[in-house]
Amino acid sequence: MKVRYLAMALLVAMLAVAASTASGGTSRSHATKIVVWLMPEAQSGWPDAVAVANRNFKAQHPDVDVDIQTQTWGAHLTKLDAGLAGGDAPDVIELGNSEMAKYMAAGAFKGLTQSAYPNNKTWLQGLKTSAMYNGKLYGVPYYAGARAVIYRKDQYKAAGIKSTPKSLAQFIANGRKLMKKYGKDKSYSAVYFPGKYWYFAMSFVYDYGGQIAVQKGGKWKATLNTPRAIAALNQVKVVLNQLSRASKTGDEANPQQSLVFAKGKVGSFIGNGWEWPYALDEKLGNPALASSINAYPMPSHTKGKFMPTFLGGSDLAIPVTTKNQSLAADWIKAFTSTAAQTEIAKAGNIANTTKLLAFNASNPKLAPFARAAKYSWFVPTSANWINVENANVLQNMVVKIATGRASVKAAANSANSQITRILNTGA
Amino acid sequence: MSRLAPEGAAVASVAESAVIPASRRRRFSRRRLGQAAAPYVLLTPAVAVIGVVLAYPLYLLAKMSFQKYGLFELIRHQGHWIGTANYARIFHDGEFWHVVLRTAAFTAVCVSLTMVLGTAIALLLLQVSRWVRIALTTGLVLVWAVPVIVAVNIWHFMVDYQFGVLNWTLTKLHIGDFARYDWFANPWTGFAVFTALIVWGAIPFITITVYAALAQVPHELLEAAAIDGARPWAVFREVTLPLLKPIFVILTSLSIIWDFQVFQQIWVMLDSRPNSEYYTMAIYAFHESFQISEYGLGAAIAVVMVLFMFLATLAYLRQMLRTGEVH
Repeated sequence: MKVRYLAMALLVAMLAVAASTASGGTSRSHATKIVVWLMPEAQSGWPDAVAVANRNFKAQHPDVDVDIQTQTWGAHLTKLDAGLAGGDAPDVIELGNSEMAKYMAAGAFKGLTQSAYPNNKTWLQGLKTSAMYNGKLYGVPYYAGARAVIYRKDQYKAAGIKSTPKSLAQFIANGRKLMKKYGKDKSYSAVYFPGKYWYFAMSFVYDYGGQIAVQKGGKWKATLNTPRAIAALNQVKVVLNQLSRASKTGDEANPQQSLVFAKGKVGSFIGNGWEWPYALDEKLGNPALASSINAYPMPSHTKGKFMPTFLGGSDLAIPVTTKNQSLAADWIKAFTSTAAQTEIAKAGNIANTTKLLAFNASNPKLAPFARAAKYSWFVPTSANWINVENANVLQNMVVKIATGRASVKAAANSANSQITRILNTGA
Repeated sequence: MSRLAPEGAAVASVAESAVIPASRRRRFSRRRLGQAAAPYVLLTPAVAVIGVVLAYPLYLLAKMSFQKYGLFELIRHQGHWIGTANYARIFHDGEFWHVVLRTAAFTAVCVSLTMVLGTAIALLLLQVSRWVRIALTTGLVLVWAVPVIVAVNIWHFMVDYQFGVLNWTLTKLHIGDFARYDWFANPWTGFAVFTALIVWGAIPFITITVYAALAQVPHELLEAAAIDGARPWAVFREVTLPLLKPIFVILTSLSIIWDFQVFQQIWVMLDSRPNSEYYTMAIYAFHESFQISEYGLGAAIAVVMVLFMFLATLAYLRQMLRTGEVH
């Protein structure tokens, strides 16, 4: 029966499936090259700082090439794990400040000598704390970011908004005016707020006096179901549902919110300093908006105060698997030198040293972010915290609130029990 | 499947080269022993390949599932034995059973749709004119040739929240207001998109295989049935289907394996951050392993998944053994 032959042929195909599941690994480079993993912001926001660092490093080590490999926030830790297991992690890696603790606790990074690095006496305290574990330094502060409201002056004016808001209530009222003026276009958002943008949502919680979790007697307890947190999340829901038409299941980076803003159908968004120039980028953004773009710190629900902003930022670390530790350290020194840090500050960030803070404050494009940075919040300082982020607990909570698939209270309760469990048990 | 061709070819050429020494051996003494050994000699390369790329990793996976293996252990390449604690933990985890049910239901829907539609299109191919058949087959082969990640990105664009082609078309056809419709806000519509994507990608293989099998059904049997007064559906059910049963069993088993372990489609479509309502077993295992860094726990989930798939393919194995018996 020929059908049987066909069946046999399929069996052979199955064997081929089985045989093909193995895939090749990557080859490891040696002393003629160091591999550096940076996140995409360096490429889009401050390529000049990277160029300065590479130039200075090259002057010092003419025979060594620097291979900058841009990673994605979604996948870089997975790749780092694989690299640590296989012994081919990069020589230098950028980690978000909330990602450091887990890896420092597990012994993934080489210990560093603080005095060897530029400006080490004036490092931003918040960043330095994120790079220390049990009193030892495992990372070099790279940069910090504070978010502020980036908005369209022309649209505010056309909607009859006279001045930037002094309170959350005014901010929401202004948003309603914008929606009235422009909202007939169904893709317009007065405040572009995608459902997974938990940094912004949590700012409300901290503003209302709440927190994500507290530590008591060595045990963590999530506090998102407290009356203060619930009151804050109710305001989050108002902004999500009434002022934003961003995807309720999307995040702020897919698509890049500053590029959505550049398309013209967004009145304001909550962005980092570097997202302002990025919105005006000649290739990806819209340079014509240069005269109508501005920023102000997000106002608090208490009139006259600012809403705390997430103190985001990154550190640079050297994985234990590297064979080029001194070269890696030299590149980090070049990248955190005053010259490179000045470029990073110019791009709209808070440099890693307080020496450059005045630089930000004197620039009208950076001053709102520098002012916003004075009131900041940070994630619970637990080695297990990053597992909460990786389990998307807070994103899922905000998505549930945005889509109305759960009440604010139910969404908060569910996130709360997950966070308590993960912080205490790791999973 | 298409990316497997080189490997398949390598296996085949290894087998061919093994034939030569086997035939030469016949001239020497102990001819009968040589003949008896020949099949095993021929099997050796395949067994070796399977041993290296399948059995050894499976052994490591099984071993890891009995260990505490987190980031700390990963860096030191050394887990420590904790018996069945990982298994106890997942079996007592409500989320795990949700994920299992979700994966099973999703697989059942995808496989049923794939088999029914794939067979229907294969039957259609028999009826249409040559040109239509060539056009259809070309279309099917092109779909099959699209790499998964590329396909997912194309579908991503089709159902995009703001610029989706599907959203635009449905709105223009006055089916409803789908402008800024978020397909993934609700897991039911989200999984509808994934079902469509997976069925779309799987149909070509099923159709082309079933079509090839249909071509082998003797005409005289079909004609005899028709003369006896059987209607087309009865002919298909009473004549064609029993003849093609081995093919259908194998195709269904393969489809179950493929759909049960679906990963890339969901992972890529949801920007590597799928919400827990979209966890299938493969994603759940990946999440526990790589995002939470509980590799032992992830391994236990993967082992359970392998066992489930083994159960699902028992029919396939039985068919495989029977196919062997005939020859």
